[in-house]
Amino acid sequence: MKRGEMEDAKIVGLSTHPEYAKWAHRETDPGNVCRKPEALDDMLVLDASHGSFAGLFASSLLAEMGAEVIRMEPPGGDLARKMTPYGMMIGDAGLGYITEGRNKFHITLDIATGEGKELFRKLAKKADVLIHTFKPGTLEGLGLGYGPLREENPGLIFTAIHTYGQFGADAERHANQPGYDILDQARGVVMSVTGEPDLDPEVPTEYKKPLKQGNWMGWYAGGAWAAFGIQMAMFRKRRTGKGQFIDASPPEGLMAISNYVMQYFHMSGNQMPRAGNFDYAVFPYTYVKCSDGFTFISGFSDPNWSALCEIMNRPDLQERFPTIRERLNPENQPVIQHEIELFTARYTSDEIQGMITAYGKKPDKKGTVVTGRLETPGDVLKRDHWEARETFVRRDDPHYGEILVPNSTFKSMSATPGRVKWVCRPIGADNEFIYGKYLGLGGRQLTALKENGVV
Amino acid sequence: MDRETSSPDSPGRLFDKDALFDKPEALKGVRVLEVCSVVLGPAACDYLGEFGAEVIKFEGQKGDQMRFVTPYAWFWKGMSPGLEIENHNKYWMGMHVGNPRARELFLDLVKKADVVVDNLTPGRMAAWGLDYRKLKEINPGIIHLHVSGYGSWGPWTGRTSYDAVAQSMGALAPITGFEDRGPIKSGVWIADWITGLMCANAILSALNYRERTGEGQFIDYLQVENVIRFLDWTWLYAFKTGEDRKRSGNRDLAICPSDLFDCLDGQVALAAFSGEEFRGLCAAMDRMDLMEKFADPLERLRDGNARELLGHVADWAATRPVEEVVALADEHGFGASPVLEAKDVYHGEHFRERGAVQEYDDPLYGSMTQQCYPPVMSETPGRLKWSCRPLGFDNRYVLKKILGLPDEEIRRLEDQGVIFRWNPKVPSQCPPPGWDGKSGVKLG
Repeated sequence: MKRGEMEDAKIVGLSTHPEYAKWAHRETDPGNVCRKPEALDDMLVLDASHGSFAGLFASSLLAEMGAEVIRMEPPGGDLARKMTPYGMMIGDAGLGYITEGRNKFHITLDIATGEGKELFRKLAKKADVLIHTFKPGTLEGLGLGYGPLREENPGLIFTAIHTYGQFGADAERHANQPGYDILDQARGVVMSVTGEPDLDPEVPTEYKKPLKQGNWMGWYAGGAWAAFGIQMAMFRKRRTGKGQFIDASPPEGLMAISNYVMQYFHMSGNQMPRAGNFDYAVFPYTYVKCSDGFTFISGFSDPNWSALCEIMNRPDLQERFPTIRERLNPENQPVIQHEIELFTARYTSDEIQGMITAYGKKPDKKGTVVTGRLETPGDVLKRDHWEARETFVRRDDPHYGEILVPNSTFKSMSATPGRVKWVCRPIGADNEFIYGKYLGLGGRQLTALKENGVV
Repeated sequence: MDRETSSPDSPGRLFDKDALFDKPEALKGVRVLEVCSVVLGPAACDYLGEFGAEVIKFEGQKGDQMRFVTPYAWFWKGMSPGLEIENHNKYWMGMHVGNPRARELFLDLVKKADVVVDNLTPGRMAAWGLDYRKLKEINPGIIHLHVSGYGSWGPWTGRTSYDAVAQSMGALAPITGFEDRGPIKSGVWIADWITGLMCANAILSALNYRERTGEGQFIDYLQVENVIRFLDWTWLYAFKTGEDRKRSGNRDLAICPSDLFDCLDGQVALAAFSGEEFRGLCAAMDRMDLMEKFADPLERLRDGNARELLGHVADWAATRPVEEVVALADEHGFGASPVLEAKDVYHGEHFRERGAVQEYDDPLYGSMTQQCYPPVMSETPGRLKWSCRPLGFDNRYVLKKILGLPDEEIRRLEDQGVIFRWNPKVPSQCPPPGWDGKSGVKLG
C-alpha cells in the first residue's frame, strides 16, 4: 500500500460514504486548526471562581473558543489547585487544575482589601463576563454584587455558580454552606437512581445505595450549563448591548437531564428504582462480565433478542422472555443478566466481539447484537482513532513539564475550531501583563500592591 | 442582609418567576431544523428550544425511536414518556428528508433557517445530497452540526454508538462504581445528555461568530470524545503514573473529606476541604484533635490518611439522623446534603420558586410539571410552552407559515406521501385517546 492510500484508510475507517469522510477530514483537519480564526476572541471573561471546577470548566470552554480569560486567584492560589488525587502536585498545581488551566491568564488579587476591591471593580467594568462561585452574599457584602457592577457596566454578564443557587428556600437555609461536586451530584437526582440495582438479590445490601458518577459530573455538567447560558447571554448582548445575571446551580443541570424520573413520577405517582447496569426502558442493554473484564451487550427489540439468544445457543431464554414486556420487567432483568453472564464469562471481550461480528455476516441472521469492551483509561490513550482525531494534547510545558490533557472537543468546527494554546500557568504568573494591559499598572505600583498583600 | 427584597437588583426581584412570559427569549429568531432521533440530537435542539429557538423536528414514517422506548413498556395517554423528555416547544413534521420531493421542501426551509442538526450515521446526509456543501450553497450563513459516536472521519468512523457504549468507550463507567465491585453505568443516559449540551455550546459559539462575520460553518461533534473530555484528572493521572484511575464509590480521591455517609435514617453527602470548612466539621464532630492531625489538605488526601479520617466521619455520622448533620453543616460552614429523589425535587418549593421546575397546561396532555433547563437567567429565562406531539402534527403550520404553501398543495403532498401523519394503528404516534381533533393544532 502506498502512503497516500494508508492515510486514506485511516480517514475513511468504516464509513459508508468514503468521499464524505475525506471531505469532512479536509474541513476539520486538526493540522489546520491553528491557522483558523476563533469564535469568541472578542470576549473578555473574568473567572473569579474559587474551589470549584464548575467555574473552571465553564471558563475553559470559553477559552477554548478564543475568549480572553483572566483567572483571578487569591494571593495563596485557588483551593482547586489542591484538589488532586492522593495529593499529587506538579509544582503549584494538582492534576485537575492543570487540566483546566488552558489558555487562561493567571493573576492574583485579594478582594477583601480596599485596593483589591477597587481593582476588581475596574476589571469587571471592562469584562463581558464575570464568573464566581462564592457563597451567596459574599460579593454583595464587599459591595461587588451585581447591582453596583452593572451600574458601571450594563453589558456585564454576571454569572454566579453555587450548589444551592443565589435565591430560593434552600439557598436561604444553606447560605453558609460551600458548593461541592458531591453536593451537586447528591441534589441532582441522577445519583439517586445510579448504583447497584435495588432489585438484584445477588447484590449485597451494603452496596444498595446511591452512587455518584466517578468523575466530577456535578461540576462539569454545571460548568457546561453555565457556559451555555453565558453564550446565549452574549448572543443577546451582541444585539441589545445589555448583559444579565445568570444563576447557575449545578444540581439543576443534573436534575434537568435525569431521563424520565420526574415525568414518570408526575404521570404515575411512582418513582423509578436504581437499575444498576439494567435499564427499565431498553434491555438487554447492559454491561456483563467477560473473562478479561467487562463488555457492553445489547439485544432489545424482538429480532435483536432472537439473534442474541441464537448466538448464546439459548432458545429457552427466548421462549421464557419472548416480548419486550417480559424483558422490561424489573424482576426478570437480574435473571436475564445472570443468564447472559453464564455465557459471556467464558470468553474474552475480543472473542465475544468476534462471535457477534461473524454472526452479523450470516445471511440468515435474525437481528443485530452490539457489543464493545469497557475501555480503561489506559486503553483509551492507545487507540489509533483518538490519535488521528487529536483527542489528547501532549505538551512539554515550561512550568509543568511533560503534560497530557484532553483537547477541546470543539476542535472539529470547520471555521472556528476550539483549541488548547497553553496548558496552565503558575499562581500570579500574568500579573504584570494583565494589570499593565488593562489598568496601566507598572512595575513600581505592582511591587507596592504585592508588599501590601493585594496581589 | 435581606437579599430577597432590598433592591431592584436582588435575585428575588431579578428572577421573579411570575414575570417569566413578560421577558424576552435569548434565541428568538433562531430557526433550527432537527434531523435527529433518539436522545442526543433531540436534546441538543431541546436546550435551544426552551430558550426561544424555533425548532422544527423531522420524523420518518416509523417516527422517532423514543416513541417506543419507555419505562416498563408503559405509555401515558398513548404517549411515550421517553419521547417527552427531550422534546419541548418544537414543531413536528412527518417528512423523510431523503425522499427527493421532500428534499426540495427541506432545502426551501434551509434557505430560511439558521441551524441544521443531524445525528444520523455519518455520511447519510451526504448520500441524500444534504451535507454541508449543499446546505451552504442554498444558505451561506447556515450552521450544520453533525454528531455521532466517533465523528465523520477516522479509523472508527461509522461504528455504532449508544449512550451505554459512549459511557464505556470513553471510560466513564469503568471509573464509576464501588471499590472492589464492577463498573456501573449511569442511572440515566448521561452520555447522550451531556454531549447534547456541548453540541448546543458549539452551535452557540458558531452563532456568536456568525453574528460578527455572517459566516456559517460545519461542526463535526464526537460523543465518545465528549465523555473523555468530562473525566477531569483521569488522563493526566494515567499519563503521569501509568495507572488507571480506580473506582472509589462515593469517595472523592481528590477532595478529602468528600463522601457519602450512612446516617441513622439514610445517607448524607458531606464535604469540607478548605481549612475553614474542615475546622467547622471538626468542631461539629467535637473532634478538634482531627483538625490538628489532618490540617494540611494535601496530606489529608494521602490514601492512608484519607481512609482513617473518613472512618472517623463515618462513625460520627452513623449515630445521627441526616437532618442533624445538615443543620450542623449550616451552622459550621461545611457542605452536607441528603440525596434528593425525583419526588423531593418535584415537590421542592425551592425549585418551583426558581423556575427550575415549571408547570404548564398542555393543550393535548393537560397539566404538566417538569424540569426546565438551566441556568436561571434574569433577562432571558428558559420556559416550557408545550410538550411532545403526535407524528406530523404541525405539517400544515410549518408549510403554510414558513413556506406559504396553499392548502391544495399541502393536500397533494399528503396524497403523494411526501408528508405524513400518525398511523392510527401505532398508538404512540397518535394524539391521546379522546382528543377533540382541534386542541393544540396550529393554523388548524
